[in-house]
Amino acid sequence: MGILENKARARLFYKYLSKVYDQINPFIWNEEMRAEALSLLEFPDDAMVLDVGCGTGFATEGLLEHVDEVYALDQSEHQLEKAYEKFGKRGPVHFHVGDAERLPFATNTFDVVWSSGSIEYWPDPVRTLREFRRVSKPGGQVLVVGPNYPDHTITQKLADAIMLFYDEYEADRMFKTAGFEDVKHMFQGPSYEPDVAITTVARAPEN
Amino acid sequence: MKESLLEILCCPLDKHDLELEDAEYDGDEVISGTLVCSECGERYAIEDGIPNLLPPDMREETPA
Repeated sequence: MGILENKARARLFYKYLSKVYDQINPFIWNEEMRAEALSLLEFPDDAMVLDVGCGTGFATEGLLEHVDEVYALDQSEHQLEKAYEKFGKRGPVHFHVGDAERLPFATNTFDVVWSSGSIEYWPDPVRTLREFRRVSKPGGQVLVVGPNYPDHTITQKLADAIMLFYDEYEADRMFKTAGFEDVKHMFQGPSYEPDVAITTVARAPEN
Repeated sequence: MKESLLEILCCPLDKHDLELEDAEYDGDEVISGTLVCSECGERYAIEDGIPNLLPPDMREETPA
């Protein structure tokens, strides 16, 4: 288990990281990658959209280019403070403090569940993905962006020590075990490191 | 939060409905109050309009 898979540690880590997060974040996850990931989704009229692990609201901002309102959740109030500065507390984003693994939303609620840069901190990704499936409407889409497992052994050891990394086979296994269908993967990254992120999009079964 | 949000919220622990208690309003926004699980009785605070639905073991006052 990586050192950040413990939620309390992740919380403490983000308390400090939130101060600089938006400055360092574009190096691994930028607007171009965000737009590419968003293009994999279908947004029905008046779509109910949930952003799990919204953090400072970078993805939320992209989602708002497609829908009028977003439901957002994060476990770190320090990260959320930054998001409040961007969108206000009573604007188009409905904020919730909460845990990705134990979502406070009713079954069959969302057309789209999005989560970027959060899965690497989940202690039990399959359990969390099952929660995503539960809150998704039948046929609803789920999109998760996480760190792709590095190719080099030394980087792999470092990666394993810090947090969860996974490849497309592992992503496929996790999503299918959690009960998703139509599971697809895409590698994303800036030109100098094109495979740094793995984006998975899947659908909740129709019945 | 809007009171209508209650329709899609549930207790993160047992997924039962939440009831709003001690609500203070600013127009149609609930700015403070407590969400109480109708089944297990767990209480979740609403502060400055934002519901804190973290399970008790993950709240800020819980030692890391």
